[in-house]
Amino acid sequence: MPAFNEASVIADVIGNLRATFPNVVVVDDGSHDDTPALARRAGAHVVTHPVNLGQGAAIQTGVEYARKRAGAQVFATFDADGQHQVRDVVAMIERLGHGDVDIVVGTRFAAGPPVGVPILKRIVLKTVAALSPTSRKLKLTDAHNGLRVFNRTVAGDLDITINGMGHASEFIALILENGWRVAEQPVEILYTDYSMSKGQPLLNGVNIVFDGFLRKRLPR
Amino acid sequence: MNWIQILLIGSIVALLFYLMRSRSSAKSRAWVKVGFLLFVIAAIWAILRPEDTTTLARLLGVTRGADLITYVLTIVFIFTTMSTYIRFRDLEVKYARLARAVALQNAQVPADDA
Repeated sequence: MPAFNEASVIADVIGNLRATFPNVVVVDDGSHDDTPALARRAGAHVVTHPVNLGQGAAIQTGVEYARKRAGAQVFATFDADGQHQVRDVVAMIERLGHGDVDIVVGTRFAAGPPVGVPILKRIVLKTVAALSPTSRKLKLTDAHNGLRVFNRTVAGDLDITINGMGHASEFIALILENGWRVAEQPVEILYTDYSMSKGQPLLNGVNIVFDGFLRKRLPR
Repeated sequence: MNWIQILLIGSIVALLFYLMRSRSSAKSRAWVKVGFLLFVIAAIWAILRPEDTTTLARLLGVTRGADLITYVLTIVFIFTTMSTYIRFRDLEVKYARLARAVALQNAQVPADDA
């Protein structure tokens, strides 16, 4: 769980998760507030970036930490702002348990018109998904969903190099390049005022598209 | 199409290809230095014999030497911008790996799990 200045909600989010999942790894992305201390008190593993790097880098750090822990079999990325539902993770893990896929990604758009996604946001997300050739190839409807559940194969080979918000597209591109088997699962996103204020500005879509175009040409 | 148009578009495309492919190997760095050397020689020449730029410009289908210089500078600027951008991205990845190594070394395991 990547977290940057989430002190007001982090303890509740970890508490909810820990009711079902004992092992929660919080990657504190150089927060200026009490996020790491609160996360630790709530019973999470805490890995602290010495400087703020971005959400993509934090996810990579969290997965690298988790895959080194003995016995780790199933991995999930989860947003720290409380917009994701624990029961969606449970359902996604069950889906992964069927054994025919390596990764399950959440989608806001699978079951008809989404509930509770603001209209402007919906248009932008759809556009980004449509612009991304990899998303189209994999028939994914929501490239920028922060909720993912995956197995050791994916965790072991994951190598996210885009530190910022473009990492979600990179994640999808990695799925295609590594031939991971993927499925989508409808999830519910709670757009609270808090999560909206923490969310990425829509203009960030420009960065995401630009980074995505250059990614393959850059040294890794 | 003019000679200059073909040359300019050709060099922009060539630069893009070069930048996309280069992995800052010793070889490509050497070529950058050779290119820079040629650029400096051309600049000194243009200072000493400005009328030559006009001759060259005429040959390429541009009227004035000053226009030719503007075109060349534009291309050099694009090249510099792109290579700086790629350099920064490269550094960013390394910087993230360094910070990640530090973070993983100092990871805090919950008390009931240590």
